[in-house]
Amino acid sequence: MNSQAYKIFTLTAVLGLWFLTSCQKDPNDPGTEFAPQMYVSKPYEPYTQVEPNSLNPKGLNLRNPAENTIARRAFSPEFQITDSLGNTVKKVDIMYYDIPRDDAGRELASKVLRNPIPINEKSLAEGKVLYERFCASCHGAGGAGDGKVSQKYAGVANLTGAAYNKLSGGHIFHVITNGKGLMWPHGSQLNADERWKVVHYVHQIMGQIPAELGSKVKTEGAGSDSTKVSPKTTEAE
Amino acid sequence: MFANRITIYQKLLFVLLFGLFTSYGVHAQDSLATATTDNADGGLAKPSDEVYNTGKTLWEQNCTSCHNINAEKKVGPGMKGIFERRDRAWLKPWIVNSQAVIASGDAYANKLYNEYNQTVMTSFAFKDEELDALLDFIAYESEQEAVVVTDTDGGNTVAGDSGGISSNYFNLLLGVLVFVLILILAVLFLMVTILNRFLNQKEDLNEADKEIVNQKFNPFSIFQSRAFLGGVALIFVLVVAKTGLDGLIGVGIQQGYAPTQPIAFSHKLHAGMYEIDCGYCHTGVYKGKSATIPSANICMNCHNQVKVGSPEIQKIYKAIENDKPIEWIRIHNLPDLAYFNHSQHTNVAGLECTQCHGEVEKMEVVAQRAPLTMGWCINCHRQSAVDHAEGNEYYDRLLEYHEGTKGKAPMTVEQIGGLECSKCHY
Repeated sequence: MNSQAYKIFTLTAVLGLWFLTSCQKDPNDPGTEFAPQMYVSKPYEPYTQVEPNSLNPKGLNLRNPAENTIARRAFSPEFQITDSLGNTVKKVDIMYYDIPRDDAGRELASKVLRNPIPINEKSLAEGKVLYERFCASCHGAGGAGDGKVSQKYAGVANLTGAAYNKLSGGHIFHVITNGKGLMWPHGSQLNADERWKVVHYVHQIMGQIPAELGSKVKTEGAGSDSTKVSPKTTEAE
Repeated sequence: MFANRITIYQKLLFVLLFGLFTSYGVHAQDSLATATTDNADGGLAKPSDEVYNTGKTLWEQNCTSCHNINAEKKVGPGMKGIFERRDRAWLKPWIVNSQAVIASGDAYANKLYNEYNQTVMTSFAFKDEELDALLDFIAYESEQEAVVVTDTDGGNTVAGDSGGISSNYFNLLLGVLVFVLILILAVLFLMVTILNRFLNQKEDLNEADKEIVNQKFNPFSIFQSRAFLGGVALIFVLVVAKTGLDGLIGVGIQQGYAPTQPIAFSHKLHAGMYEIDCGYCHTGVYKGKSATIPSANICMNCHNQVKVGSPEIQKIYKAIENDKPIEWIRIHNLPDLAYFNHSQHTNVAGLECTQCHGEVEKMEVVAQRAPLTMGWCINCHRQSAVDHAEGNEYYDRLLEYHEGTKGKAPMTVEQIGGLECSKCHY
């Protein structure tokens, strides 16, 4: 090979290497799919959609439920407590839809609603998990209104303070469901039975639950097991 | 007798010294007392410890979430100068039940209520002496403005400054080093040229020496050697092969996919800095197949108040006003031929979100961490031990049989049918 050929070869090789290694993957590019027709669902799926839906409003697969619909599970006026084999032990009324969402409704709820979930270590532990998931970011792990978000969101109530720690379960349930003052409604994030479990745990934080039951749950909750105890009574799979 | 006299002297001395100390002590106390009154700056004297502490506890437990002790507004007005605006006779019923004061038609109360967007102040059923203690505390503490303000803000600025200084210092050091290196190079180059010129001027050099002095080093000659050529060819072939193989293997795998979303939502801020639980927004993750994307009402739980003016937050407001959904881009796409259910993994198996999604709380833009290939699924099903619920008789017996046949080895997902084709493909 003469020197001219050397030069041409080296130049091509170096340029080729540069070309091959210089391309970074575009983070916006999902990459190639071999058989898209096997990847994309033909039936409607709620959170995956490639083509606009020609039948539904706004081209969405998701639709709002018809007006005045009540969620079926919550509509069932009974809350079933089952043992480990799924046999129904006890049925409790959990209906609350006839209570208005305003201040008067809260007064009413405070008087008439009773927590249908029995207080025991299990329901308190589940309430703790739910409290930590949905409430602690503002109200703080101990309920003192010192969660991280309260640095930005002013006016978070100190649940252990004198103005709050005597509140009834019905009042707390109504506030979680419909909001009050600066707190916005959280009813869309928690089912009715979950809210009642949170009410139990909030009562424990407030010191309304007998100490011996509370302390048992506290020690149990300190272990890593507590995260495993999740409400099994929610949506049917 | 002599010894006795000494003791008398000693006693005298002791009395004298004692007198000196006590008078000094009284004097010191005097100066302390004047100091406190000076400190109050002509305002109210500090209430007694008991009253002060009662007031402080009440203040911290009930008021601080909505009121600042200084002039700054929070949810309600700041407390500085409150007694110039209102007197105790007005404040007490207001604290106990502000709505009753408003309903009574009090002009100031109604003005205040409307000024603060009709935010209802919580009613506090304090006893009269508690109210007095609280108001004493506020009266005293709201005039001590500097203490509260500097505590929070001062600490932050100091921390921020020190961080800035250290990084600036590092940059400066780097600049100086680079400058020195360039200087050294310049000096060396100068020395070489001077030496060359000096040697060339010398007459008594022979030809061989002259050649060495004046030789031109050709760095490009290296590129023409056979060894170099062979090396380049080898690397070229290897890189081509690797790029080709990677491209082929990567078909259908979206690992690292991190699309720009319609709203620059930061998980690092929300889940990391403010420690909001994943399940707070992704409400379906413990209940159903999909973890769900939060609807705008969940954003509004905080952003009705937080950063409302930000252009990114305004996009949520626009979406709500126009009743037009936010088109988030789905990142984790499983093919339709594979079934996956979140609740089975989070609620039943007890997996943490991070085990598949990586440390989302540290991601500014969420990227797909796991390859989501079938091999990846199966690998986990082979290795993970089943953590069955306590007191579930079905699993208790299953574990009994398992230990009967397999001994003490943990029962894996594979052994309870986690690799059956039809579990995921049907």
